[in-house]
Amino acid sequence: MSDILDMRDVVGGYGEADILQGVTLRAAPSEIVVIVGPNGAGKSTAMKAIFGLLHVRGGTIRVDGADVTGLEPNRIVEAGVCYVPQVNNVFREMTVHENLEMGAFLRSGDLSAAYDRVYALFPDLKERRKALAGNLSGGQRQMVAMGRALMLEPKLLLLDEPTAGLSPKYMEQIFQICRDVRDTGVTILLVEQHAKQALAFADRGYVLASGANRHEGTGAELLADEDVAAMFLGG
Amino acid sequence: MEWLGFVNYAVFMAIFIGIYALLALGLNIQWGYTGLFNAGIAGFFAVGAYTSAILTTPFVPGRVGGFDLPVPVGWLGAMVAAGLIAWPIGKICLRLRSDYLAIATIGVAEIIRLVVKSEGWLTNAARGITNIPRPFGDLAYTMSQLAYLAIVAGVLLAAYLLVERQFASPWGRMMRAIRDNEDAARAMGKDVPYRRLEAFIFGSALMGLGGALFVHFNRTITPEAIDPMVATFLVWIMLILGGSGNNRGAILGVAVVWIIWSVSEIVTDRLPHEYAVKAKYLRVFLIGLMLQLVLRFRPEGLLPEPRGKGRRPEAAAQGARPPAASD
Amino acid sequence: MGAMEIVNFYLVPGIVVGSIYALGAVGITLVFAILRYAHLAHGDLATLGAFLALAVVTLGGVSPYVALPVAMAVTAAVAVGIDRTFYAYLRERPKIVTVMASLGVALMVRAVVQIVWGVDSQTYTRGIVRPENWFGIRIRDRELITVLAMVGLVVALQLFLKYSKWGKAMRAMSDNPDLALLSGVDNRKVVLLTWTIVGALCAAAGVFLGLNYELKAMMGWSMLLPMFAAAILGGVGRVEGAVLGGLIVGIAEEMSALVLPTEYKAATAFAILLLMLLVRPTGLLKGKVL
Repeated sequence: MSDILDMRDVVGGYGEADILQGVTLRAAPSEIVVIVGPNGAGKSTAMKAIFGLLHVRGGTIRVDGADVTGLEPNRIVEAGVCYVPQVNNVFREMTVHENLEMGAFLRSGDLSAAYDRVYALFPDLKERRKALAGNLSGGQRQMVAMGRALMLEPKLLLLDEPTAGLSPKYMEQIFQICRDVRDTGVTILLVEQHAKQALAFADRGYVLASGANRHEGTGAELLADEDVAAMFLGG
Repeated sequence: MEWLGFVNYAVFMAIFIGIYALLALGLNIQWGYTGLFNAGIAGFFAVGAYTSAILTTPFVPGRVGGFDLPVPVGWLGAMVAAGLIAWPIGKICLRLRSDYLAIATIGVAEIIRLVVKSEGWLTNAARGITNIPRPFGDLAYTMSQLAYLAIVAGVLLAAYLLVERQFASPWGRMMRAIRDNEDAARAMGKDVPYRRLEAFIFGSALMGLGGALFVHFNRTITPEAIDPMVATFLVWIMLILGGSGNNRGAILGVAVVWIIWSVSEIVTDRLPHEYAVKAKYLRVFLIGLMLQLVLRFRPEGLLPEPRGKGRRPEAAAQGARPPAASD
Repeated sequence: MGAMEIVNFYLVPGIVVGSIYALGAVGITLVFAILRYAHLAHGDLATLGAFLALAVVTLGGVSPYVALPVAMAVTAAVAVGIDRTFYAYLRERPKIVTVMASLGVALMVRAVVQIVWGVDSQTYTRGIVRPENWFGIRIRDRELITVLAMVGLVVALQLFLKYSKWGKAMRAMSDNPDLALLSGVDNRKVVLLTWTIVGALCAAAGVFLGLNYELKAMMGWSMLLPMFAAAILGGVGRVEGAVLGGLIVGIAEEMSALVLPTEYKAATAFAILLLMLLVRPTGLLKGKVL
């Protein structure tokens, strides 16, 4: 089976300077891949490169076989990629349901199946569908953000630090939802600060440092790697 | 006497250019250095004009004044008064984005216009203030004009040197740092609103001085002397065309715009009355269009802000533009 | 002075002028929230709308109420055209540059009005209209229509924003522009739609101002400050806030004549504006602070 994400030797950054110095990432269908690494390693930047949010000056990015390198974000959405930013990832003054509706903005036709699917993944949200997203707790907001992205039924879901600032309880819940989402056939790529927990739950992981690949392997392999442990897992 | 007429006209123009140059320097401190949008230039100009007029004219029954003070005191008073008006406005608005200052300064200019028009005890209302002394006003016409030109040139030079020195000083560097990257400047521990307030008051005081220089040249002032919107806008187009952030550019812009503005007035005044009125508004339309064209095709102006020392607000923000900014 | 006099001479005119400010303030609040700049040509666009309606009235010999929708449509097109010609290419620059451009546009629009229609005051219809007496409250038909039209237009706008796909897109763009773009909202369409709505509301404000008072070249500019005061008082981005703000500013202006010389009516709006910026820049209904 071909990879959903095939990103090779990507070089690029926001302005003149290159933050990514050659990053290679792959993700197979229905796989959870996590990117970890110390601060400033270029984790979030690598993710934004996939979504067309920075200047890619070298390398190629393919999604499900199609070259998306350098495309505008809305074209990348059409290619089946959805992105959940780390902050400001909901419409605060819109209801939960309207947030989901905005997620499906590009879709036409009957959306009831898509709503059912998302509300089945996030039962909490169904209860609060008429509440304003800005009035929800941090964990619930993260669910709204993920739900919004899932409304397009993407092939690839990009999550930028979905557990940042959440309590361990919510972190576990988010991870469980990621597994559920994966089991519906969606590939998930996520960036995580909580490296230990993330590697334990992901199918595979990449360790980035200084804008380049450092290690890759299954979560268990990376957790067992002494170099990785010494780098940032802090023993 | 054609020749003398031409000289007289040139001197007249030069004096106005000098006065507008003071306004443009004041605006350059506010917009060019600090990124503050003052849409009430005419208001500060009027405050300066009336303050100096009230301080220096002889006693007239029915209104405040008759202080008969020396002209330089009037000028100083004009700067202080304009600065004092700027202070509370700046205090309230400079915490917020410059849009709010733009609206508030439009309001200030409007209120000042209302006060000037309706407070007879202060400004003699529609009849205006007359007999305003002019330094060397007793000389023959041409000599008197030349003498006043020399004074205006002297004041302008002093203001220019002062502003240039401020620009090169740590204060100026700090102002540009604040303008180009407020977050970084704040992180450096600079008191951003206070610095902006300084720039706003300083710039407004220069505008008040411009008003004072005008009033002693004109010798009378009435509420109709200046069309607030056109006067304010002229100063803006002068600065933007000349090059905001560059004091020489500001003065060059004043000269270019003022010459276009006055020469086109001579042309339109010769048209038959019916067309002359329409032509007057056509000039206003074209000056508005000119701003759009400069903003689009030469936003840095004729003389751009010197590179390396700092960047224009536009350039700075373009570089810092986040990749997902709207549109 | 009796209660009836206060109602008839201050409250009713205040509500009428407040409704006119509300129509303008709704547009200002939409531009402020969605496009993120203060649009200083707003008042002069209203002037243009009022004079366009005058042209329809004089050329077509119809009532101003028939001319109103025509003026709204044409002004909407003009607003879109102004955006395309003068503001669109400034979108990547700091927003304050667009504020400056809009000041220039204000001057240009007003100059066009002055060239085409002259500077003398004009009216849609001649003659004096006597107010009807409703249980002691005296209201002219046009005053009633002004208030009802404002309510109708605002309710229609609110329904559009709440329930339609593109209305939601406008709210989304106001709420979180980056995320709206990530969701695939086409910003150009939102901008187009915003200017269409704002231009039409502007024209309505201008026509009703002309209908209740008179038409002159400065009519819109003198309305700019009260409209901004209303938008900020209500909370930037809040349509219902703009209506509330418009009514408060309008009533306060008329009531100010009880304590201040009438020349200073216009100062009331400025006082409200500064007071709000000082104590509560988010406005009464908790809007945005840009």
